[in-house]
Amino acid sequence: MTSTFANAPATRATTSRAASGLMMRGLRTITRLPSAFFPAMLMPIFQCVAFSGTFFAITHVPGFPTDRSINWFMPLGVLMGSAFAGVGLGFSLIRDLETGFFDRLRMSPAPRNSLVLGPMYAAWFRSLIVTAVVTAVGFALGARLTGGLLGLVMLFGGSLGIATVATGWGLGLAFLFQDMRGAAIMQLGLFISMFLSTAQAPLSVMTGWLHGVATLNPITNILRMSRQGFVNHTVNGHTVGAGVTWHDTWGGLLAIVALSAAAVLFARRGLNKLDA
Amino acid sequence: MSVGTIAPRAEFAHSAETGHAWSQTMAMSKRSIIAIVRQPALIIPSLIFPLFFAALGSSSFSRATQLPGFPKVDSFLALTLAASVLQGVIFGSVTGGAALAVDIETGFFDRLLASPTSRVSILVGRLAGNALFGSVEALFFTLVMIPFGVNIRSGPAGVAVITVAGGLIGLGIGGFMAAMALRTGSAEAVQGIFPLLFVSMFFSSAFFPRETMKGVYRSIANYNPLSHLYEGMRDLVITGWSFDAVLKSLLIPIAIGCVSIPLALLALRRRLRAA
Repeated sequence: MTSTFANAPATRATTSRAASGLMMRGLRTITRLPSAFFPAMLMPIFQCVAFSGTFFAITHVPGFPTDRSINWFMPLGVLMGSAFAGVGLGFSLIRDLETGFFDRLRMSPAPRNSLVLGPMYAAWFRSLIVTAVVTAVGFALGARLTGGLLGLVMLFGGSLGIATVATGWGLGLAFLFQDMRGAAIMQLGLFISMFLSTAQAPLSVMTGWLHGVATLNPITNILRMSRQGFVNHTVNGHTVGAGVTWHDTWGGLLAIVALSAAAVLFARRGLNKLDA
Repeated sequence: MSVGTIAPRAEFAHSAETGHAWSQTMAMSKRSIIAIVRQPALIIPSLIFPLFFAALGSSSFSRATQLPGFPKVDSFLALTLAASVLQGVIFGSVTGGAALAVDIETGFFDRLLASPTSRVSILVGRLAGNALFGSVEALFFTLVMIPFGVNIRSGPAGVAVITVAGGLIGLGIGGFMAAMALRTGSAEAVQGIFPLLFVSMFFSSAFFPRETMKGVYRSIANYNPLSHLYEGMRDLVITGWSFDAVLKSLLIPIAIGCVSIPLALLALRRRLRAA
């Protein structure tokens, strides 16, 4: 018991060192295999440009919380890019599993938690790159902050949160399938869950079945939290103010914590099963 | 006498050659269709994704139909039918092109070349498969959306035109995909062209009418042939039968094919020269 306590800081240090090493490896693939990272960067930029141009008219619907379509679609692009940056680490893990590199990692004395934490750190770093670039492009295309700098903090927070969820989801599926079948499910799962939310239109504008689904979908809360610095608050179609509020934040934070915990647990259990 | 004997032989040889080419083309078409049917995992996304986006769009954007610039429609779903056909056929054409590239990668294409097969039948067979799949997709989307309240105002004749247009789009876009496959011999490269096609759909009136766009987007959409093709098919659904709509639905994909198929033939000739 005493030795467990005595070893705890040492174990934490080892986990942290091993995770940092794996993070650096994950980041090095950005330059060594750019084709695996840059689609995650270009896709949200394309999404911002295409959606804000094509669906520009939607901002004229009464109750739409902004008159700039880029303000609405840029946070979606950021979250989508971060999510795909996260599942990108799942793709890398599949490659490592297929080539046998991951078996060598498992045989090494690296703590098991570091095998999940390392890719997670890399995903956060990648997510920050994607968020910074897409936000810059968004501002260049006319996006404007209505909620002050705190709104930007919310966007970065939402982005890191969704990257955590996506990485856990990606790693868990990679451990489960151990081949490229998992990659298709990673992308499809994320894509569908993100679009079954307020991705394209706010709840007040939606009609039909999607309204119910989006209300229940926790991604809606994360989007609401991330977007609040770029949109106005509306009640019954009337603008009642702008800015970051606790009302629009707590649901997003709760969704991030709950989904992240579930996703990381899914990844950790997948790793345990691989070891068994 | 000799002339009289030779002439029928030459004629026979020519007609036999034509017959062989035809039967080979049919065999290649059959093979490409069987390949599609045998791998549902490849075609299901091209059937499911457009329907998913149509369902999403009808819930997200149905209130936008009351805005100025939108044509009068019963539901947003009626506007999305033509876009779903376009999306589905583009997805399917990429799959067809990638299958040709896989044939090259796995060496099956070289075995075809080593056999006494008509070279053009290899390409035409693949494109015919694409065209047939495009027609089936167009009919599938139409039949799926009718129970959800989409009223095809041009009636069964309009459905027939949309079905034929689906086939022609498959042929036209499939030509580009085949050219890419023959030129690069890489399925990954063919798949890589998909985002470009998808982007071109967003810079058209496939999702929202041109009248609701502004600035550069509207200018690009005005020049994008996909806008006019989409509007032709859309008018058959929401307005009714018109000569203009039929012409747009059929002639634009034919024009696309007039550019893409020669490109594919050129790529085939280059590959044959290199082989």
